[in-house]
Amino acid sequence: MQTTTENTMNEPIVAHRESGRSTVQVVLDGERRAASSDAPVKARAAGLNFYYGSMQALKALDIDIRERQVTALIGPSGCGKSTFLRCFNRMHDLTPFTRYEGSITLQPDNVNLVSKDVDPIEVRMRIGMVFQKPNPFPKTIFENVAYGLRVRGMRSKALIEEHVEKALRDSAIWDEVKDRLQQSGLSLSGGQQQRLCIARALATNPEILLFDEPTSALDPIATARIEELIVGLRERVTVLIVTHNMQQAARVSDYTAFMYLGELIEFDATSKLFTNPSKKATEDYITGRYG
Amino acid sequence: MATSEGHIFSGLDTALAGLRLQVLEMGGLVVDQVTTAVRALLEYDREAAELVLARERQVNAYDTAIETASFELMARQSPLASDLRGVVAIARTVTDLERAGDEAKKIARFAIATMTQSGGDSTAPVQRHLRHMAQLSARMMRAAIEALDRGDASVAHDVARLDLELDREFESALRQLMTVAMENSRLLRSTIGTVLALKSLERIGDHAKNVAEHVVFLVSGDDVRHARSGEGDPDGRPAAH
Repeated sequence: MQTTTENTMNEPIVAHRESGRSTVQVVLDGERRAASSDAPVKARAAGLNFYYGSMQALKALDIDIRERQVTALIGPSGCGKSTFLRCFNRMHDLTPFTRYEGSITLQPDNVNLVSKDVDPIEVRMRIGMVFQKPNPFPKTIFENVAYGLRVRGMRSKALIEEHVEKALRDSAIWDEVKDRLQQSGLSLSGGQQQRLCIARALATNPEILLFDEPTSALDPIATARIEELIVGLRERVTVLIVTHNMQQAARVSDYTAFMYLGELIEFDATSKLFTNPSKKATEDYITGRYG
Repeated sequence: MATSEGHIFSGLDTALAGLRLQVLEMGGLVVDQVTTAVRALLEYDREAAELVLARERQVNAYDTAIETASFELMARQSPLASDLRGVVAIARTVTDLERAGDEAKKIARFAIATMTQSGGDSTAPVQRHLRHMAQLSARMMRAAIEALDRGDASVAHDVARLDLELDREFESALRQLMTVAMENSRLLRSTIGTVLALKSLERIGDHAKNVAEHVVFLVSGDDVRHARSGEGDPDGRPAAH
């Protein structure tokens, strides 16, 4: 035990800690990253209905997705969370007999993403997606990331190299692949492949990044790396994530939406929804009473 | 807690570091409350006593803030193993710190009463005891809080030893005060107040001992709260490691 003298008795304990500064820094970083209710709206779903043939999968959804925040969608299988996510980049257009009603407007230019008048290719230029199962192209690691840049007309080799490196760095995989950029993307582990897919999505500077259960095929360590990455991504992009893992939603998101049978039951700051939900249905679901 | 940083998911580091920083600040404030309250009593320093009463609100604010943060951390980060024990140890520590802060407040109130009421002051014969007990209890609390920060369970033995010393000092002061009260019944009211102030210091020592026991729980997972000092818990494990 340290001997305590009269002289040191009144000094604050915190000042004695050698690592005090780094601790404070960690805390301050955390405060900077706290959920910000005054963040501007990046996308607004209003009266959004979606139909697979005669089956209504989404019912009058109203929800604001805030800029540079992570919003998680949770709910039991079949509740419509993935259907909702896929509306953002018009993935349903490929499925016959589907129909959108209402709007998802992208801000600040107020483009209705689900309008027939808006080209889905244009939508996908602005909104990236990462899927449940890593799906790198059967090409080199470099080409996986460079592909989207070339599609968008980038020709300068130096510029493409610069963008590829930045995207790989931002996806926390650069150090692992920098010496083997010409190897196949399929030679990587599952967790690395998923981070490569995130780099591929980031390379083209999307405004919103969609994640559809991005870690359900990964082990816990690879999952932790992706979660850490998602939290860091909100410095530069708005994130919308569907997850079956409620702990994951609690860890990584600023806002959480609970959906059930195609309806939005509750939408709130994650810290509120997971400690004191307003609706009994939310409480029952997150405490494992049904779902 | 030395092991709290370095998770792959750094959100847990941030949350734990925030909790740790707040509990250290609260601990520092409570130690200062104790020493300031006793100084107010011994030196008839009204300003010091009022400072203690004013800062009691800060102690309570820390209590509420840390409780809320621990609650949210458990809900959102699902801490496990040493992380879980760390959050539980901090939540328990905060309760002890808040109660120690209450005891300092009682001493400050008694100091003001002594300065404003007529009827004599019975603290004079036990000044040495009061001073010594204040030093001991503040030292114990400080050592326990620093041990919590370092994750050092060895300090529990030292705090327990100091607690025995504190208890002996308390008994000795009580005997002295009994003599004072028997010799001069006019001082009875003041004597009761002085006994309560001494008891508050003895309780602060108990809270410091509790904090040290929370550190043992944090480090080893052993719950030594109800094990008699030096005799280990019912399973035969040592009281502290």
